[in-house]
Amino acid sequence: MQIKESQKLQTCALVILRILIGWHFLYEGVAKLLKGNWSAAGFLSQSKWILSPVFQWMVSNETVLNLVNQMNIWGLILIGLGLITGTFTRIAAAAGMALIFLYYLCNPPLAGLFYSIPSEGNYLIVNKNVVEMAALFVLIVFPAARNWGIDHILVRMFRRS
Amino acid sequence: MTDKQNKDKNKQNPSIDRRDFLQGLAATPVLGLFGAALIHEQSVKKKLTKAKPKVVPENLEPLNIAVIGSGAQGQVLIDAMLKLPGLHFKAVCDIWTEYNLKRAAGILKRYGHPVNRYIDYRDMLVREQDLDAVVIASPDFWHADHAVACLEAGLHVYCEKEMSNTLEGAHRMVMASRKAGKLLQIGHQRRSNPRYLHCYDKLIREAKLLGRMTSVNGQWNRAVQPDLGWPEKYAIQPDILRKYGFDSMHQFRNWRWFKNLGGGPIVDLGSHQIDIYNWFLKARPKSVLASGGTDYYDPAAHEWYDTVLAIYEYETPAGTVRAFYQTLTSNSSEGYFENFLGDEGTLHISESSNRGGVYREPNAPQWDEWVRLGYLSAPEKAGTQATSAVLDVRETIAPDRHDIPIVFTDPYHMPHLENFFNTVRGLDTLNCPAETGYETAVTVLKVNEAVKAGKQLAFSEQDFLI
Ligand SMILES: NC(=O)c1ccc[n+]([C@@H]2O[C@H](COP(=O)([O-])OP(=O)(O)OC[C@H]3O[C@@H](n4cnc5c(N)ncnc54)[C@H](O)[C@@H]3O)[C@@H](O)[C@H]2O)c1
Repeated sequence: MQIKESQKLQTCALVILRILIGWHFLYEGVAKLLKGNWSAAGFLSQSKWILSPVFQWMVSNETVLNLVNQMNIWGLILIGLGLITGTFTRIAAAAGMALIFLYYLCNPPLAGLFYSIPSEGNYLIVNKNVVEMAALFVLIVFPAARNWGIDHILVRMFRRS
Repeated sequence: MTDKQNKDKNKQNPSIDRRDFLQGLAATPVLGLFGAALIHEQSVKKKLTKAKPKVVPENLEPLNIAVIGSGAQGQVLIDAMLKLPGLHFKAVCDIWTEYNLKRAAGILKRYGHPVNRYIDYRDMLVREQDLDAVVIASPDFWHADHAVACLEAGLHVYCEKEMSNTLEGAHRMVMASRKAGKLLQIGHQRRSNPRYLHCYDKLIREAKLLGRMTSVNGQWNRAVQPDLGWPEKYAIQPDILRKYGFDSMHQFRNWRWFKNLGGGPIVDLGSHQIDIYNWFLKARPKSVLASGGTDYYDPAAHEWYDTVLAIYEYETPAGTVRAFYQTLTSNSSEGYFENFLGDEGTLHISESSNRGGVYREPNAPQWDEWVRLGYLSAPEKAGTQATSAVLDVRETIAPDRHDIPIVFTDPYHMPHLENFFNTVRGLDTLNCPAETGYETAVTVLKVNEAVKAGKQLAFSEQDFLI
């Protein structure tokens, strides 16, 4: 009985974590979409560190930049929907990790790098992106949607048919 | 379980029962919550940027109008008026018949307004019998004669700033408007700009965000510009130029720089912004001190000062306010703006492309409530740029910056013209009536006097009254 109670609580915590991260992704995507003229150019162009040439190239080529913008917006929205509803949760979480990792690589908070877009806190190597990435990792390795998510239905359908 | 559900279940997949379904969908209501939060957010945002409701075009009384002076500014006004409903252009008057008049009439015709063309305004006023209002954008020294003639003909008048290049002229205009009982709006268009109105009505008057205003500064700096030219084959005959007060084509094109025709940059540019000083301070200045001269351009062709720095003193109910204004024509640094400084905040505003911001002094009460009410945007934190310099203990921390949450994308003059025409229709009141234009003319024309006198000149209350 004891064990079962604590398991329930663990599942509950995972589901909450999943929904909150999903909400964050979804809103980041929707807000950019609603802005109409949102572009990643500002963020990318101030990229520092070793990968900065890659990001600068994305900005300099309009077609690529448009593609990056669209992929980012829709990526965020789909990942958000996936996490909130618990649909293909593991894939969504992995994609989320990859996306955040790109943000991190673009502007890592390393000693000696300064950015013109001020951040709202103080970070050294670890920032909120890294924390969110780690949280998504938790969602991948634990069953975060097996019970309380569309995956629950999908798994059942898949198993029998 | 009902029969139907049972059937469905069997059709799809025997292993999924109702419980599985509910459990699987357990988290989806969060999407509803998200949607509701998003709709709420969008409606709050919309409320913040919504301009005041426009009058429905269908029940607008149509107005017949004419334009006097279809030069650079006349064309700008025509373009803005073409966007307003309920206006019928009947006539355009301009002495540059082969060029400016032709162009303006051609454009109006293309927009479905075939207009009669006139070289002389008196002729126009005699022949055009069904006009309601006239829009005047002739050079400053013509404003008084043009406006008075129109008012005496029983027409409402929108006249560009500067109201007149002389106080005598401005005085005649006020009297004519009163005598005829017709409207006279002066073209200080910032008075109808929704961003300026928001700053004055909401931020300064209602929320009193600046606290006690102590100082104002503003400027219009412009890069070096060559004198205006003209296509030789369209030069106006000398006798016609002389008839309308110009010695030469050069003077006709560059009238702003000549003593009896315009007022130089301080009047041309400064009057817009010094008008805002009077408005936002809700006061008239007590004195003005000024320094200026024709330092850069050839004085023979630039009779008025190309550089002017002026300081006004205002007595407001809250105390003295000192106001600086500068206009340069040889350097464009920082362009044009007005700053209002009080003990609780700073307002930075400009007509140019939605530039502006409000800054809270560290000792001022919190502004969270005003942000919540939509008077201001949420603050951007002041830069926390790393610096090797040691912060002086006496230095105050840089204040947070708030945006003015009104975005204005119409042509600059459109709301001011709309305010005029709606007042003609009895739907509004003038934002810059003759008396206000007169006060501004008194305030601004004195700067040129002060430069000449080389000392501080005082205003008396009497100066502003008619
Ligand atoms: N509110 C603003 O932002 C703003 C901006 C620019 C100019 N203005 C004002 O607009 C007015 C015109 O300025 P502009 O830059 O268009 O000058 P402009 O020289 O380009 O145009 C003046 C026009 O008036 C015509 N004109 C001259 N005398 C005339 C007369 N007796 N009868 C009929 N037409 C006559 C000229 O042929 C010319 O086409 C000025 O008073 C100026 O201060 C206001």
